[in-house]
Amino acid sequence: MKNKINIYLIEYAVNAILRQKYKSIFIIIVFTLLTFLLTSIFFITNSIRYELDSTVEALPEIVVQKIKAGRHYDIDVDDIDNILAIAGVSDAVARVWGYYYFENAGVNFSVVGVDSFEEQYKGSLTNIVDKFDLNSENSSMVVGVGVKETMTRNYYKSYFNFIKPDGRLEKVDIAGVFDGDTQLESNDMIVMSKKTAREIFDIPQNKATDIVVKVANQEEVQTIASKIKLLYPDTRIVTSQDLKISYQNIFDYKSGIFLALFIISLFTFFIIIYDKSSGLSSEEKREIGILKAIGWKVDDVLKEKFYESFIISFFSYTLGITLSFAYVYLLQAPILQNIFVGYSQLKTSFELPFVFDFQTLFLVFFLSVPIYIAATIIPSWKVATLEADEVIR
Amino acid sequence: MIELKNITKIYEVNKNNKVTALQNINLTIKEGELIVLKGASGSGKSTILSLIAALSKPTSGEVIVDDKQISKLPDNFASIYRRDNIGFIFQKYNLIPTLSVEENILLPLVPLNPVADELQEKLISVMKKFNILHKKDSLVRNLSGGEQQRVAIARSYVNNPKIIIADEPTANLDETLSAHFIEILRELKSLGKTIVVATHDPLFFDLDFVDTEIEVHNGSLVV
Amino acid sequence: MILTPEVLAIFILNTIFGFFAVIAFVLSVKIYLNWNLDSTSNSQYRLEKQSFLTATIIKYIFIIKVPLFLFFIFTLDKISNVLVGAMCGAGVVDATEYGTYLFILKVINLYIFAYWIVLHNEDIKHENQPYTKLKFGVFILAFFLFITELILEGVMFSSIEIDKMVSCCGTLYSNSSTSYISDIFAIETPVLLTLFYGNFLLIVLFYFLKQKYLFAISNITFIIISIISLIVFFGTYIYELPSHHCPFCLLQSDYHYVGYLIYTFLFVGTFYGIVTGFIESSKKYILKTYHMSIIFNLLYVILLTLYVIVFYIRNGVFL
Repeated sequence: MKNKINIYLIEYAVNAILRQKYKSIFIIIVFTLLTFLLTSIFFITNSIRYELDSTVEALPEIVVQKIKAGRHYDIDVDDIDNILAIAGVSDAVARVWGYYYFENAGVNFSVVGVDSFEEQYKGSLTNIVDKFDLNSENSSMVVGVGVKETMTRNYYKSYFNFIKPDGRLEKVDIAGVFDGDTQLESNDMIVMSKKTAREIFDIPQNKATDIVVKVANQEEVQTIASKIKLLYPDTRIVTSQDLKISYQNIFDYKSGIFLALFIISLFTFFIIIYDKSSGLSSEEKREIGILKAIGWKVDDVLKEKFYESFIISFFSYTLGITLSFAYVYLLQAPILQNIFVGYSQLKTSFELPFVFDFQTLFLVFFLSVPIYIAATIIPSWKVATLEADEVIR
Repeated sequence: MIELKNITKIYEVNKNNKVTALQNINLTIKEGELIVLKGASGSGKSTILSLIAALSKPTSGEVIVDDKQISKLPDNFASIYRRDNIGFIFQKYNLIPTLSVEENILLPLVPLNPVADELQEKLISVMKKFNILHKKDSLVRNLSGGEQQRVAIARSYVNNPKIIIADEPTANLDETLSAHFIEILRELKSLGKTIVVATHDPLFFDLDFVDTEIEVHNGSLVV
Repeated sequence: MILTPEVLAIFILNTIFGFFAVIAFVLSVKIYLNWNLDSTSNSQYRLEKQSFLTATIIKYIFIIKVPLFLFFIFTLDKISNVLVGAMCGAGVVDATEYGTYLFILKVINLYIFAYWIVLHNEDIKHENQPYTKLKFGVFILAFFLFITELILEGVMFSSIEIDKMVSCCGTLYSNSSTSYISDIFAIETPVLLTLFYGNFLLIVLFYFLKQKYLFAISNITFIIISIISLIVFFGTYIYELPSHHCPFCLLQSDYHYVGYLIYTFLFVGTFYGIVTGFIESSKKYILKTYHMSIIFNLLYVILLTLYVIVFYIRNGVFL
């Protein structure tokens, strides 16, 4: 524990690595690739999760949905009054929204209805309501960037024709384009007046898609949720806390799959390394024999071999995470990003926020360096304990 | 100063295949002597060298150097003994071709983590002595045969050993270099080193400064 | 079942550890039974080679174990975010019946592995390697504890249920808790502090008297009394809250990660204290272990006492 670092030994180890050019390069490439992939996956999921968490922050604490026969149903707007009466509830707003499937482009738009005189449940919606007047004579809407592009591509430049449930067309003018707080969400979003939204989805005046409830005190969310459930047993109550947990679980699940794949490749790598290290060239054996003959102890040889393993693996690890940083945050992770963000048909062109997490770096470290070193324990030992006199004849 | 007492060495190639390299031999070498071990390959002379260098352990018997039993030292002590007392000159030099002259020579000292200044002094004096100081940074593979030979000897000398062991040192050398080597041996002997050479090169026989020639045949000694 | 990437990483490394530990175990048994340094047989020479492998494996496990332990704590903290009710690692440890035992076992194993390495280093300093049988015997025992730890860790993580409510450290470490922890709160503060500082003074006394065994034993008792007094008394001054007794929250960024410093001091100090009593070595070496122990224990005591004093200076009262 108290030995000074032996520079000469390190130099020798580095030299030994350079001497076995091909083997070393092979190991470095594979190792770097593995750490690169792994780190990138973690970085991407961390960033997306951060985005999503920010989204969830912006959401109301409680969402009340009516459930009938296990399926989501329109809820009565009048239920709001009873909910508002519960202590601790600061506001309850009826939401009208849904998904509109645009057949020509094969994509879904999220359609959100707002009423300008109501308090919006999201800051970004307030901005839109202030900016655009959606109560004009003709129905109008504000769309997200991705929506605008899709519509333009399908020759809808200043308005769009929605096809209503009864087959008739509803023409809605495009009043403007917006950026939401978080790009992930707003890219495929359309904001219009509640009246227009009701028209498109054929939801009557006294009904709504769901009710969002604002709670003054975070600690009381669970209690209020249970009270609402008591009032309306045929509803499902989703709290923002539930959302957060389920997001984290989904991401753990997804990254878990990749981790499983990674383990398999790591295992394969382990075996390759073991194989390559065990199959000692007579060159290497002879070199160790010489070292022992001129006075190196077994422990010295072991230490040198350990330095070799550590230098190679740590170097590759560092290289891997550096490349990953560049790939994910500078290049925005082409290809890999799509695997994780693919829950909307519209390709989100959003920027992965830079989320720096020490724990991820440690995690990747533990999944790579010690495993590599473990693979070299037995081969190094075999080499170090060779009978010197037998190899130098 | 070197004593082999009732030494038997049996190599186990595998469970069923055993090779007896040395059979109950006894050998005494006095300090400052130069001994030549003659014999064909496989006769066991290299094994004697390994035993003296504590590179291998006998199957039975004892090796005593300077009144200290070295044959059953645990590895780290054996290595320390070797490092402090033995200079090894191999048949094919066994230098590391991709390292420089200086790096090759300091190799025995690497695990000691020596102090930089002291190390430099030691290296320079040794390189001067064997006349390769001018090539200290050249890679060994770029050196001539004679120069490599001098590096090999310098390496065996850098830790200032009492005993020099040479295993077929002239097997790959031409006449000139062989003669050269013998002259270096003469000088080493004059410095008081105890030298044991295993060889079947007739150049070594009947040399004036050789104290004893011992023939090794099938694991036994023929004086 | 909680299967985050972190937990998976721990499982992988545990599997590797387990695999190598078994190898080391088998070799240790062989060596323990057959070791004879005077023998010149080939089987003895083989054993000597194998003892290197065993030593390397044990060193490897220890070197990785230490940062892995820190990583384990990070993981507990991270999991606490998904467990309802847990606000720090304490909640996660309490989520299963295995958590506390696992934690204690991990710490004990750290001590044991570190001790083995010290014993090994001492052993190879001597030509006749006097402690070889002893050290491999120690490892044979340590092996069982180690395997228990690995299994326990697997079981614990597998049995954590995310939807089951757990107690926060606030309820766990309080007088009202129903576990045995509440018993330690029954000790009155003056008594506790007397025991704590008294124990430390004993350590100092035995240091000056150079009584190895008493020194070591007082270090062992110091571990226990330190943890207890940290939970009951000193922790509250670090948190500046009379009801906050959790030993885990110290490790969080809110308190500048001071927990890591505290526990490191305690571990190093008491470890060297134990080594002083249970290792035969040169005078110089024993002196060194005495010094290391007294210094780190002193640092530990000073650090904790400072928190109390600074609090008093700032606020004029004790909690």
